[in-house]
Amino acid sequence: MARSRTLAPRSGFGFVAPAVLLVAALLYAPFLWTLYLGFHEYDGLRPAEFIGLDNFTRLLEDPALATSVRNTLMWAVGGTAIPVALGLLIAVLSYGIRGGTWYRLPFLLPYALSGAGLAVIWGFILQSGGAFNDVLGALGLPGADTRFLLEDPQNTLVMIMAFTWQQVGVNALLFMVGLQSIPQEPIEAARLDGASGWRLFRHITWPLLAPLTTVVIGLSLVATLKTFDIVWVTTQGGPGRSSEVLAVTMYRNAFVAHEYGYGSAVALALTVVAGAVSFGYLRRQLSAKRGAA
Amino acid sequence: MTYPPTGEKEGTAIMRMGTGKSADHVPKSMIGRVGVALVATMLVLAACGEDGGGGGGTTDNLKLYNDKGAWEEFFREVGELSQEEIGLSMEPVGYTDEPTYEAFIMASFRTNVKPDLFTWSTGHRLNEIVREGVIAETTDLWTEAIANGDLTESLKPYYTIDGKQYCVPLNTAYWVMFYNKQIFDELGLQPPSTWEDLISIADTLVENGITPFYHTAVLFSFVWFQQLMVGSDPALYNALSEGTASYTDPGVVAVMEEWKQMIDKGYFSDPGDETDPAAQLKSGKVAMGAWGTWFNTSMTQQEMTPGEDYGMFFIPNRVPQNNQTAVLFESGPLCMLEDAPYRDESMRYLEWWVTPSAQELWSNSRGDVSGNPKVEIADPGLNEITQAAGTDDYVLYNRYFEATPAPVLTAALDAFGAFVVNPDEYHSLLETIQQANEDYWAGADG
Repeated sequence: MARSRTLAPRSGFGFVAPAVLLVAALLYAPFLWTLYLGFHEYDGLRPAEFIGLDNFTRLLEDPALATSVRNTLMWAVGGTAIPVALGLLIAVLSYGIRGGTWYRLPFLLPYALSGAGLAVIWGFILQSGGAFNDVLGALGLPGADTRFLLEDPQNTLVMIMAFTWQQVGVNALLFMVGLQSIPQEPIEAARLDGASGWRLFRHITWPLLAPLTTVVIGLSLVATLKTFDIVWVTTQGGPGRSSEVLAVTMYRNAFVAHEYGYGSAVALALTVVAGAVSFGYLRRQLSAKRGAA
Repeated sequence: MTYPPTGEKEGTAIMRMGTGKSADHVPKSMIGRVGVALVATMLVLAACGEDGGGGGGTTDNLKLYNDKGAWEEFFREVGELSQEEIGLSMEPVGYTDEPTYEAFIMASFRTNVKPDLFTWSTGHRLNEIVREGVIAETTDLWTEAIANGDLTESLKPYYTIDGKQYCVPLNTAYWVMFYNKQIFDELGLQPPSTWEDLISIADTLVENGITPFYHTAVLFSFVWFQQLMVGSDPALYNALSEGTASYTDPGVVAVMEEWKQMIDKGYFSDPGDETDPAAQLKSGKVAMGAWGTWFNTSMTQQEMTPGEDYGMFFIPNRVPQNNQTAVLFESGPLCMLEDAPYRDESMRYLEWWVTPSAQELWSNSRGDVSGNPKVEIADPGLNEITQAAGTDDYVLYNRYFEATPAPVLTAALDAFGAFVVNPDEYHSLLETIQQANEDYWAGADG
């Protein structure tokens, strides 16, 4: 009896080991390696040389950092606020109406595209003399000669627009789930009290959707802070690093310039920023809810 | 609460966890056991991952890793020919993303996953890996190939490091101006023999509402810098690549000013137009574009006929240099590692690669020139370019992309990309490149 009690957990280690190995090899090891490289100079060929905080001081002195941080913030704010607001609007307007599903479906289709696919399509549309310029020209609207992907900061703004096109559908879907799951009693009671339209939404529906909104915004914040694929494929962060975001700065330094140590320092900085923003946002939201409760 | 001191009690604790009963703590020694299991698993995996191909074995099939994924069909054709001629087939493993490819090759230097053959870049990139001692020397191959006329002395410097040769030429290309022949014929224009002629042609095209030259802000943003630089002051061009001159040198500033004036005169296409450049040339959206002779493949893929629909000419010097025209040249190496899995077979393949039969198929299938002067180039225009480039009328200079260290190149490509969009701010851009230049060479000297 004692024997079987001892062997069972020991054999359990063997079952756990592959999973632990995968986590260690695919998650912990790369993170620790990145952390190590962040304090070293390493070109991928010669042995890594310890340089203390030099990579981080260099990052702070890099003139391109300000543009990269500004663009990352534009992505975090614009890439979160616009798709979330539009998603909410679509969900609320289509909720409970006949054929609402057909109204929402087209917004969901772009979500099937990969980030790179999205970038290729919108790069074609937004390039100088591209489809967007043609449409503006045909409609007699201003902007027919605008070089959308070349001028700063509108190149970042139009890429956020493309991202919104893809993201709004899934946000609408999430809000639909939220709308379907909120209790109907308070809404019915408010209606009996004469509330409808904006007042009903503002004072009843919106507060009941708040937990879901917190999650949607939190996920969106993290996604936009690490934006890479659409920017890299569309402009490669250019021209002249004008549309660069922190994830592109990291890739560019590590894999294009072969400065893996410096690229790792950018990756660590990005991790800290994304972690701090997400933690700060969620903590604020959750403590506000606890306070309200 | 204390941890159970023995394995039996630990086991009880874990069993409690499994049943959802009280198990507040994971025993300390459990971590050690998981660690042992981890290491054991890693050792098993590492053993499985050992390269089974090396260690002095033999093979009749080699894998050629390359960053030229678009050339797969051409590689395969050559692989079939090598199977027939030397009993060694070759399978291409193509990458299309340069950074990913370079990272893989550099990682292979320290792992057991090693390519039999691989493509690389000449210049600083080749110097870097040769100095790590991981690349097989090919001095004997070069000596023999030059003696029997399969390679030339003019190519040798691009493959020579500290007096020894490494790798062989995968491809060679001269940078020339491609032009739409129909537009030239309609306007009565002839390929230029001087820089003034070229500017006159550009003026005529602008007067007729045709954009003279192709321009881009991505990757090939360096093309006009290298052309104007080498055509104005080739010694300064070389000095920049060796880190002995500054990007704020008056000679560099003059080149940027000239480039800016050309942009201001409307000589260049919109750098944000991402239409295929060959399609732009075919449609007449632009009349000319500077590319390596490899661009000939793109032109024929657009169903344009060489000599009829389009032609090529050497770009004249901006400043005459002793009746010699500076020509930018690129050659991509085909390399093997010192500890390649099948060393003998890989070396035998490189020896075969430079022979006329291999080169004739390789060059003519792609519609490009060859490093082997014995090869008859099927395209008359290309043949003419190749023959002329071998004369004393032309001096070859390494393309900016290979001549410049990676960190400096990265900064320069960004700066030139910004310049073609907003040409007024070139002084600050040159200072940015110079900063990268100083940083790199300070580290290299150290």
